[in-house]
Amino acid sequence: RYVRQLQRLQLLFSPTAADARGARQFVEEAAQDFARQHPDVVLYVSPRSGPGPAPVLRAEYLNGTVREELIASKTSEEILQLATKLANQSGLDIIRIRKPFHTDNPSIQGQWHPLTNKPSILTIQGPRLQPQ
Amino acid sequence: TAPPPEKKRWLRAYLELQRLQAPPQRRSEKPNWDYHAEIQAFSHRVQENFSLELLKTAFVNPCYIESEEARRRQLGLDKDAVALQLQDNSGLAERGLRFARAYLAQCFEGAYPELPAKGVEALVNFLTSQELVSYVAQNLSIQDLTLCRDFPAPPDVLQRTFLAVIGALLESSGPERTGIFVRDFFIPQLIGKDLFEIWEVVNPMGLLLEELTKRKISAPEPRITRQLGVSTVLPVYFVGLYCDKKILAEGPGETLLAAEEEAARVALRKLYGYTENRRPWDYSKPKQGLAAEKAISSN
Repeated sequence: RYVRQLQRLQLLFSPTAADARGARQFVEEAAQDFARQHPDVVLYVSPRSGPGPAPVLRAEYLNGTVREELIASKTSEEILQLATKLANQSGLDIIRIRKPFHTDNPSIQGQWHPLTNKPSILTIQGPRLQPQ
Repeated sequence: TAPPPEKKRWLRAYLELQRLQAPPQRRSEKPNWDYHAEIQAFSHRVQENFSLELLKTAFVNPCYIESEEARRRQLGLDKDAVALQLQDNSGLAERGLRFARAYLAQCFEGAYPELPAKGVEALVNFLTSQELVSYVAQNLSIQDLTLCRDFPAPPDVLQRTFLAVIGALLESSGPERTGIFVRDFFIPQLIGKDLFEIWEVVNPMGLLLEELTKRKISAPEPRITRQLGVSTVLPVYFVGLYCDKKILAEGPGETLLAAEEEAARVALRKLYGYTENRRPWDYSKPKQGLAAEKAISSN
C-alpha cells in the first residue's frame, strides 16, 4: 500500500518580518485545508517573535532526511505548491540519477554464459548420414 | 531603535561546533512535538483505523514504565503517585506475533503447497526476525513514537512495538484487515531473496532424495554435462541430475561435489516452485473470510 514518506512539516516564521508575509497569509488561508487534505502529515506552525532568521519550511521524512526550504518573499499559492511538492517527494537525497532505467529482471531466458549454446558432453555426435 | 546585535563572528564557529557535538536526542524532546497528532498521523499514514487507546498502549514498553517509576521514586513522590496508570504492550505484542506467524504460515502453505513444514517455518522465522521487523518499523517512524528507556531504541524494542501495533490492529479492526496489513508490509521483504538464502539446508542431496521417494520417482543420477578449464585453477563443472534418463536439474560449481550440491538445490527449487521465474505474489483483494477465521481459531 502507499505510505506517504513525509512525516511532518514545520513552518517557522516571524509574525512581524516583511518577508514572512506570504507565510502569514498561507497560515491564515490555506494551511487548514492543506492539513485536512493530507491527514498523514503533521503540520506544526511556530511563529518565532523578534527579528530572527528567514522564514523556512522544514520537512522531515520517514527515512530521517530533513529538508529546509526558504519561503521568504513567496506568495501563499507558491508556498502551497511547495508544500504539496514536498508532500509527494520521498526522503531520498536529491542527487544526479546515474541511469534513467532500472530493471529487476535483466534477463528473461537466462543470461548468456560461454556454455549456453554449446552441446553437452553427453550428446553423441554420430557419423553424418548421406541424404537418401 | 537599532536591531539587536547579532552573534559575534568569532563566536559563531564555536556555537556551530557545540551544536554538532551535542548528543543525539529523541524526537519527542526536540521542539515541535505533539504526541496525539503524531499518533493520528501514523494511523492515517498506514491507512488503518485504530482505536487510539489501544494504539497508545501498544507504544508503551515495560522498560519505559520501570524507568519512569524509578525516576519518580528518586524525586521522592508518594507510593500512589509512583505507580503509573499505563499498561504494557507485552500482551498485545504476543497476540500480534502469534497472529502474524499463523497468517504468514497460512499464506505460504497456500502459495507454495509443495514446500515442507521446515521451509515454511524458516520463511516465517526470517520474516518475524528482529532485523527485518526493526527495519520495517524504522521506516514507518515507530522509533519516534515508542516510549522506551534507551535512545536510539534497540531492535528488540522496535520489534516488540511493531508486533504490539499489529495486535492493536487485530483488536480494533478484526483479523481480515490485519491479515491484509501483515501481507502488505512483510511479504515485499521477500522480493529478490532466494529460498536457500533464508533456509539453511545442510544436505540438499538427502532432502532431494526424500522428496523424490515421496513422489515415487527413482533416484537421480548425476552426470557431468559441461566442463571448462579442468586443469586450471578455476574449473567450472555443470552437473546434471537425470531421473530415468530425463533431466531434472543442472547446476554449476567449482568442484564436482560443489556442482552436484548446486544441482540438487536447483532441483529442490524447481520442485518447491520457488524458482526465480515463478509468478509474483498475488496482492489482489482476498476473498478468504474462512482463511482469516482459521487463523484466529488456530491461535
